[in-house]
Amino acid sequence: MKMKKLLALMLAAVMALSLAACGDSGSKESAAPSQSGGSPSSEAPSQGGGEGGEILIGCLQDITGPTSALGMSVQAGAQAAVDEINANGGIDGKTVVMKTYDTKGDVTEAVNAYITAVTVDKVKLIVGPPVANIANAIKETSESYDVPVMGFALDPACQMREDGSVYKNMFCFQPSATTQGQIMAAFALKNGMKTFGVIYNQENAYSVSLLAPFTDELAKSGITIDNSLVVAYGAADTDYKTLLQPLVSANVDGIYCPNYTQQLVAIATAAKELGYQGKLICGLDAAPSFNTTYGGDCSNVYYINNINTEDATTAEMAAAVEDKVSAVNKYFLGYDVVMIAKQCLEEAGLEDNAALVSAIENVKDFKGLTGTLTIDPATHMPDGMGMFMYTYENQTPVMLEEFAG
Amino acid sequence: MSLQILINGLATGSIYALIATGFALIFNVLKFSNFSHGATMTAAAFTAFFLVSQKGMGLVPTLLAAGAAGACIALFGEFVGFRRILKNHSSATYFFVSSITLGTLYEGLVTIRVGSNFFNFPSFFETPTLDLGIIISTSDAIMFLISIAALLILGYIIQKTRLGRALRAVSFDRDTAQLMGIDSTRIIQLTFVISGVLAGFAGVFLGIKYTLYPTLGSLVVKGFIASVIGGLGSLPGAIIGAFLLGVVETGLLSVLGSGYSTIATFAIMLVFLLLRPQGIAGSNVQEKA
Amino acid sequence: MALVSNVLTQIFITLIAVAGVYVLTGLTGMFSLGQAAFMAIGAYASGLLVLRLHVPIPLAMLLAVVLAVAVGYLIGYPVVRLRRDYISLVTLGFGEAIAALLNRMTTLTGGASGLTGIPRTVGLGITAVSAAAALTLVALFKTSKYGRQCIALRGDELAAKAMGIDITRVKMIAFLISVALTSYSGCLYAFYMSYVDPTGFGWKRSADWVIMVFFGGVNSLTGSTLGALILSALPQMLRELLNFRYVIYAVLVLLIINFRPSGLLGEWELTPANLRALPGGIKRALSRKRRGAE
Repeated sequence: MKMKKLLALMLAAVMALSLAACGDSGSKESAAPSQSGGSPSSEAPSQGGGEGGEILIGCLQDITGPTSALGMSVQAGAQAAVDEINANGGIDGKTVVMKTYDTKGDVTEAVNAYITAVTVDKVKLIVGPPVANIANAIKETSESYDVPVMGFALDPACQMREDGSVYKNMFCFQPSATTQGQIMAAFALKNGMKTFGVIYNQENAYSVSLLAPFTDELAKSGITIDNSLVVAYGAADTDYKTLLQPLVSANVDGIYCPNYTQQLVAIATAAKELGYQGKLICGLDAAPSFNTTYGGDCSNVYYINNINTEDATTAEMAAAVEDKVSAVNKYFLGYDVVMIAKQCLEEAGLEDNAALVSAIENVKDFKGLTGTLTIDPATHMPDGMGMFMYTYENQTPVMLEEFAG
Repeated sequence: MSLQILINGLATGSIYALIATGFALIFNVLKFSNFSHGATMTAAAFTAFFLVSQKGMGLVPTLLAAGAAGACIALFGEFVGFRRILKNHSSATYFFVSSITLGTLYEGLVTIRVGSNFFNFPSFFETPTLDLGIIISTSDAIMFLISIAALLILGYIIQKTRLGRALRAVSFDRDTAQLMGIDSTRIIQLTFVISGVLAGFAGVFLGIKYTLYPTLGSLVVKGFIASVIGGLGSLPGAIIGAFLLGVVETGLLSVLGSGYSTIATFAIMLVFLLLRPQGIAGSNVQEKA
Repeated sequence: MALVSNVLTQIFITLIAVAGVYVLTGLTGMFSLGQAAFMAIGAYASGLLVLRLHVPIPLAMLLAVVLAVAVGYLIGYPVVRLRRDYISLVTLGFGEAIAALLNRMTTLTGGASGLTGIPRTVGLGITAVSAAAALTLVALFKTSKYGRQCIALRGDELAAKAMGIDITRVKMIAFLISVALTSYSGCLYAFYMSYVDPTGFGWKRSADWVIMVFFGGVNSLTGSTLGALILSALPQMLRELLNFRYVIYAVLVLLIINFRPSGLLGEWELTPANLRALPGGIKRALSRKRRGAE
């Protein structure tokens, strides 16, 4: 018995010691990947420039898990762009091959997938996820390598540290949450709305990140939203009607709903059942297929979108994929980002990863289907990129106007 | 608390009551917590959605299909997950793992079929609201009435019929009931069927309220909490607990807002266990020999 | 190489949590569906202490474990004196409540966006040593007085009580040990990932751990460890399986429960004596099989 107690004590001591040693061995650990990260970048070009004649790019998306609808749409768009590039002779005569890595919507899986892509398959670059939590999970790891992640995480924290320096490999290729919130607020003001309520998902980073930009923009015009009219909900909440009750009683002109499609459907249903007469101002996720899923008249729904369906090319492409892709705007984001990647790869050549990163940093006036894009090297996000406001006529989307970023 | 909130609470409570009774029935007879109940709800609701609602049929056929699907799934679960354990008189812990695994299995199968997409039941009602002095949504009113009817029928079966008597006998003492000439395996199957039907109804109602998605079954935790407040395994307790939970939760939601209401509900359950562990109805809370 | 060390590190972190679940479920027969919430407490508390209060990392981990144990005591107090079903139901609710709390306290925890910028100081070495230490501690606990009392009350609570075992106390000790181990694995997780968000600590993860324990053998620590190793390495090798993974798990476990309820290894433990007996045992088993075939 005594022996065991002694042994237990010793083990506890070992545990404590190993903790104390954290600092030392930790630095060794973090040094290791950066060394192994150096070798693939020197090997990869020889591989790409050799007999194979292939350029491998990665696509890190939620293919399963709660946000897989978004991930699969980005993937479909990116693949369409890859096919188009290959049909037109590839990049420098080499075929582009895209390999998809599933993050399963889980942050640890995302890190595994990222490391597999970078160290095992040695991809040139990665088409990143539209989900902030996944980008947050890989940003620290990505520092150890030289592979850019061209993603769509609206949250500036995914690209920048608190001190204002950028993560060298992390990029976002759609207007930031700040821009989007401002555009929606500007639209609401322009259309004569005076009183507002907000319902947002406090368990969703995207929803939360869109809240402050909207209310800040309203505050500039002297409109404040009473705290009782800003309601939050979470996955465990079951009663949207009770949550919406104060907003409907106050009879506000507009309810701001920066939420995912699924919750939007439930919120729109609850608002209708409460007899709400005003407008719902929604983010990207009220774009089709919101209308068909909701199934009713959505004339009071207003939403922001990356794409302009008045544009002939866009409309044609959108119509072709409508039935296969659930988030059409994400399809175009995926498409555009691969086209940008092509331009940057041609500019920087295939040998030098640092040049590739700096080419991406300096993308200027790229004319894509989601607008004209210029990356700000200081934020790694688009600078002054505009977006489009839409509504529905019964169930048919109607483009209203373009807003500059 | 305004009348409107009370009505919302009762409407939510009626769905919780369906969940809690289905859960309590199994507990009553087999003395274990059936964690596959949530996934059974989801799977049954999805089956009904694809087979019936999507073809444009109304609420009643959807409910019937969901009930039937739920019954089949529960029966399958009984056969695959619990029959052998029961026969071998294995420790109760195996029921637990079996039910969790079955839940994972159902949820996995639903996810394979639908991905992580979500679906919305077509609107079953012409007019979304009824104006009876206060505004009540039609779907809430109908769901409330159907739930109450289902619970009343269940009460009648258990209290007044031979089958119900047999069920109570088996839940009281399985071996003795068997000796008295009751086919306890049959009765246990029957219990699973009833619980499955209730799960099917609850699944459809939850789907109407919050859209259908593969992890919808997680809402079953509300039924568990209601069951604990009411007294584990007691049917009247589960129903009272469910309505109480629905009203309290809705009230807290309107006062505290989201998030904190979840925490407050949990705290209420904890306090309940501390002060009156046998629940409202007073059930057996100690480990039986 | 980076991939292997990354996966191994994650497996070791899981292993520590599973060691905790083994004490609770394997030894005592209680089930916690909120166990992952204690991992969240460990991860968030240690991360916040370092980020906001600049506490040295080892001290922060220690404080985080103490905090988790204190919370565990509050949760456990009303429940350990009741039927064992209650602990699964209550911990399930607790997991939900913790997730809601982490989401709601935006200014402190970063809310849904998660907590970023935790220094990355933990690597393969520390997690390996910690996992070995955790397993040894649990092995020692199993053969200690309390461990044997746990096993006694798992089999028959009433009989254990009649033998004079203070079952409330023993259950509480087992629960708190499992909480301490799980929250420690959370600390390691935070300082390895450098990012924590409120998703992924739900009942599903807790259920995964229970399944691992049962897969390898609920009565054997060696079996549980093996179960954790196999089931957490499997998805890395079978990347392409996507959604089918959970179905395959479930079918495997159902088969085991139905046809080999004691798990892969049954009661067998990896001890020097058993190891020496192993060749003979295999020979005996083989000859039995041969005789059966004849």
